[in-house]
Amino acid sequence: MSELLQVSVFYQDNQDRLKLKLRNSPRGLTREIGQKEIHRPGLALAGFIELFTFDRVQILGNTEMKYLHSLSAEDLKKSLSRFFEFEIPCLIITNENPVLADLAAAADAVGIAVFTSPLTTTEATHLLSDYLDQKFAPSMAIHASLVDVYGTGLIFTGRSGIGKSEVALDLVERGHRLVSDDIVTLTRTAENVLMGHGREFLKHYMEIRGVGIIDVAAMFGVRAVRQQKRVETEVELVEWRSDMNYDRTGLDENHKEYLGVKIPHVVLPIYPGKNITVIAEAIALNLHLKVYGFHPAREFSRALTEVMDNQSRLQSYLEKDFE
Amino acid sequence: MIQKEVTLLNRLGLHIRPAAQLTKIAEKFKSDVYLLKDGMRVNGKSIMGVMMLAAARGSTLVIECLGDDEQQVMDELVQLFENKFYEE
Repeated sequence: MSELLQVSVFYQDNQDRLKLKLRNSPRGLTREIGQKEIHRPGLALAGFIELFTFDRVQILGNTEMKYLHSLSAEDLKKSLSRFFEFEIPCLIITNENPVLADLAAAADAVGIAVFTSPLTTTEATHLLSDYLDQKFAPSMAIHASLVDVYGTGLIFTGRSGIGKSEVALDLVERGHRLVSDDIVTLTRTAENVLMGHGREFLKHYMEIRGVGIIDVAAMFGVRAVRQQKRVETEVELVEWRSDMNYDRTGLDENHKEYLGVKIPHVVLPIYPGKNITVIAEAIALNLHLKVYGFHPAREFSRALTEVMDNQSRLQSYLEKDFE
Repeated sequence: MIQKEVTLLNRLGLHIRPAAQLTKIAEKFKSDVYLLKDGMRVNGKSIMGVMMLAAARGSTLVIECLGDDEQQVMDELVQLFENKFYEE
């Protein structure tokens, strides 16, 4: 989540991925990382400390380590003491470079964890950025059900008890895939894509009123579920009211915003006997058509206008030349 | 909107049966009911939501009610917590 990340958690999460090893006292594990960016502190080690983004995870690659090795004992001490005056969350030495004893000691003195990784700097940077992006992605939980319908992520919202779970179950029955029922955690990825997933221990369980709790993955198998899905359209279920105006043309699109990402928003009135599942499939397929550049409502509107234009042209032609 | 802090006193925490009792009460009323715990905010009318809190014995929650009958639903919910969900 988008708060602070303790170095100990960071270490645990990346021990396998980056093959991280802690090379000094575990005292530094209580520090916190507050940013998703990473930094290579070559210039800061050389003495240029203006604009030093010290509050990021610091990566020391071949260049930095070679530079430190090249320094005289006195210069090294100076460089390190200047460097460790900053509140650095932790640092990682890549490429299997040996840890300088002076560096580990200087880090220990201020309680900053020093890790090593056998990966190259580029590999480590990629993996780290990926991990930190995910950790610091803005997120929120909403009361909704998320189903992958023909590859389109539909979230169903609406008041408690209106039938979100029942629609989701019906869709699963028809071969679509459930991501999460009742509670969906939304995150915004680096590419501004809205992703939805369920909670770890509630995954693919569902409450159907009158039946109780069911396990969709166990009932329908692995093809009926998925772990996460891009959220593409919100379908809000509302009770039918004769005094409300519902969209009749589909020419205008309404949107809703989550975490700054806009997604189409459809308000669907329900009443007994109305098949919401089929409508949900139609919404998904319609969205597919629009993604491929074909807008059914506008196409129809254009065709209708053309017919009317032709008619009036014919009429005016006939009006001007009486037979 | 009214809020009240409650502590879970029953033996097993907010497991499936207490969660069902709680949502049943919440659903009787028109008001919106939310439960807050550790930065999570879930719909009190959804059993899956309530169970997601995984609230153990001794933890504190905040009940939030919003609507015309907010006081009635709050009273009933607080009573439920105080009576340890009528367990034992």
